[in-house]
Amino acid sequence: MEGTYSTDPEWASVTPIDLDDGSSSGAMPLATIAYPADYLEATSYLRAVMAANEMSERALNLTKDVISMNPAHYTVWIYRAKILFALDKDLNEELSWLNDVSLKYLKNYQIWHHRQVLLSSKAHFPTFPPKEADFLMEMFAQDSKNYHVWTYRHWLVRHFGLWDQPRELEDVEFLLKADVRNNSAWNHRYMLRFGPRDTSLPDAGMVNAGDLSTAPAEKGRLSVVDEDMVDGELKFAQEAILRAPENRSPWWYARGVLRAAGRGLGEWEEFVGGFVSEGAVKSSHAVEWLADVFSETERESEAVRMLTMLKEEFDPIRKNYWDYRIRKLDQGVVDLGKGIETLAV
Amino acid sequence: MPLIGKPRKVRFPNAQKPTPTSTLASTKKTMSTATDSNQPRPGIPALFTQPPPIRDPLITETIDLQNATLEKCLPFLKGIHSTQKDFNKHGVPALQRDIHTGFLYDALEDYPEGFVAMDASRPWIVYWALAGLAMLGEETTRFRERVITTLRPMQNPTGGFGGGHGQTSHLAGSYAAILSLAMVGGEEAFGLVDRNAMWQWISRLKQRDGGFRVCEGGEEDVRGAYCAMTLISLLDLPLTLAPGSQAREAGLESLTSGLPEYLSRCQTFEGGISGSPGSEAHGAYAFCALACLSIVGPPEEIFNRHMDIPLLVSWLSARQSAPEGGLSGRTNKLVDGCYSHWVGGCWPLLESSLEGKPDNTEPPANSLFSREGLTRYILGCCQGVDGGLRDKPGKYVDSYHTCYVMAGLSATQNHHYRTDSSVSSGNFSSSFSWKTSPSRDPGNVFSRGDRLEPMHPLYVIPHKAAEKMRLWSETQPLTV
Repeated sequence: MEGTYSTDPEWASVTPIDLDDGSSSGAMPLATIAYPADYLEATSYLRAVMAANEMSERALNLTKDVISMNPAHYTVWIYRAKILFALDKDLNEELSWLNDVSLKYLKNYQIWHHRQVLLSSKAHFPTFPPKEADFLMEMFAQDSKNYHVWTYRHWLVRHFGLWDQPRELEDVEFLLKADVRNNSAWNHRYMLRFGPRDTSLPDAGMVNAGDLSTAPAEKGRLSVVDEDMVDGELKFAQEAILRAPENRSPWWYARGVLRAAGRGLGEWEEFVGGFVSEGAVKSSHAVEWLADVFSETERESEAVRMLTMLKEEFDPIRKNYWDYRIRKLDQGVVDLGKGIETLAV
Repeated sequence: MPLIGKPRKVRFPNAQKPTPTSTLASTKKTMSTATDSNQPRPGIPALFTQPPPIRDPLITETIDLQNATLEKCLPFLKGIHSTQKDFNKHGVPALQRDIHTGFLYDALEDYPEGFVAMDASRPWIVYWALAGLAMLGEETTRFRERVITTLRPMQNPTGGFGGGHGQTSHLAGSYAAILSLAMVGGEEAFGLVDRNAMWQWISRLKQRDGGFRVCEGGEEDVRGAYCAMTLISLLDLPLTLAPGSQAREAGLESLTSGLPEYLSRCQTFEGGISGSPGSEAHGAYAFCALACLSIVGPPEEIFNRHMDIPLLVSWLSARQSAPEGGLSGRTNKLVDGCYSHWVGGCWPLLESSLEGKPDNTEPPANSLFSREGLTRYILGCCQGVDGGLRDKPGKYVDSYHTCYVMAGLSATQNHHYRTDSSVSSGNFSSSFSWKTSPSRDPGNVFSRGDRLEPMHPLYVIPHKAAEKMRLWSETQPLTV
């Protein structure tokens, strides 16, 4: 069959490298694919130009062609990024093409690494291109929990130092207003508020993590605490909890906030108690919170009562876990957050 | 999804007919006419057939999706869906071994052109099918010649395997390739691997922060770290960083330098583990991180040193919810059969770490999760009517889910524990000290015929396959 490339004078100088899927060896290879002819041809030219490490316009166009047929072909993305830089192409043009591809292939994630490679060029993007945030919100309109998009957004924050850019928090709040259960948005909020900002150290999900002088139970604990900010975040979490008390996200966000501030769970005892009145428990997370408050303050029997409620009534699928927590209390390990430290070498 | 090319839309040619799942309408109809036919089968506790006790009135997209999933799962959980059969006294349908086996044998053969998106994932297709067949008790060594033929063109002279011929070497593809070679075994399969070039290549992927890129020019994440340590430990590669590698020039000495610290930085305030520092806690990355740590050192030491365990256990436990009984990957996300492995596979590692002593050959007295719930979800909701397993009712089956749903089932049917004796005396001896025994728990709700072969909890291939590759590699030391 006459192909697009084999009949194109622009490609006459290239000898394509045919696919070896193992078929030629005599034994029958596994998991073979009946590739469409145009894909087979394009990838045979791709192998040839890659083998020669060719940095050219025609190779760049070829990568676009292969991507249009198979965006999950990671190799072609890496090659494309190299060519873009080698030829000093207009990266904004690339980004606008990439926007369309991303919206078309929502689950693809090679795209997001490619985008990160482009944006990490300080020469091309010395400052944050504000249109990025608009595009990410377009992506979130399609899938507000897309893991790769959020990972990319976190990278942007750190790379361009966007922690205090109002737009970041605005977008998080917009998404939480639409769906207060969007845990990805809660995670992003935590990183904006409490994530490490010292870019001379490697990034971390919690401050101090990976520092061997800090016990794992101390991960996330800030050395300098802005108490007003902490109070504001706790209020934000409480408002979210009031909207939907059985939503795990704000409960665990609040725990993260208190941990960062080095404050105990006890200060929420009254607020939390409001969700656990006799005969009308509105949140299993409130019951768990109380169990932790009681065990922190040596009210073991009350803690056991809470854990037993979870086990028997409100979260029985996790019976074994609640039993484990009860056993831990029996063993006199009062502070679950710290007890295990003694095992650390 | 951490591993390359999760084939969400993949349909297998012989199983293109979707499983009938439009149960919502029929359920409602049945309710209004004959209430009895909507009753759960005997032997199923109410926990697995009724909505959770607390439900917030506020409806958001998350809740819409959860409710839709619940509606689709309920007839399967109740054991009243027309496609289910061979129930035991617990109301659990039998594992349809024959059709799953057939599905996996077919999955190793030819794919039509619509599968071009899998072009960079052929090593994975081979791995998923072979691992699934191994769990079903099939002999995988019969594929030796064909596996070698398939993988040979994917290996690059600069080290590692790409997803196909002429593709850049990738840690995920190399992981799938090496595990496949281990499962077919034999001198010729092991000898195919250019271990020296592999070592040099992995050294080039090592980053100064302790982690690994998945390929040259690619992203750095926890999956890369797990795949790298799998290759290094199974192939007994030298730990010293190869001369000329960037990480070595940055002052690192070993392939494991800074690695546990890197993984520690991936733990989030929720307690789970993210794909890279700062992202959201995710079940698949949690497995990659914990298995990677367990390769580097004994879990009871290394977990305690680098992870906040109570926080981790709490998050991991919260991945299971009723009535589905299956596992989710993240907070407020849906149950998906593949997390039976990614999340379920974390439990043996954590349970081993909490048990403390490696000389305890008794299986752990208590599981920390509901084996019953997971078993019910897998056998009740994940089996495709024409063979293969799936994410959830309403989704197509594919090899990825077939492999990892069964890996989860296998893990729930067996106890994994470490002993003082390791087949390997070199580095990573603790990786090769895992043993298994079949669970005899009276609470088991599966039948004898549903039992799957145990898999190595770190490498997800049969123990013998891992041990043989390791021992062969030890007899072929690399001089560096």
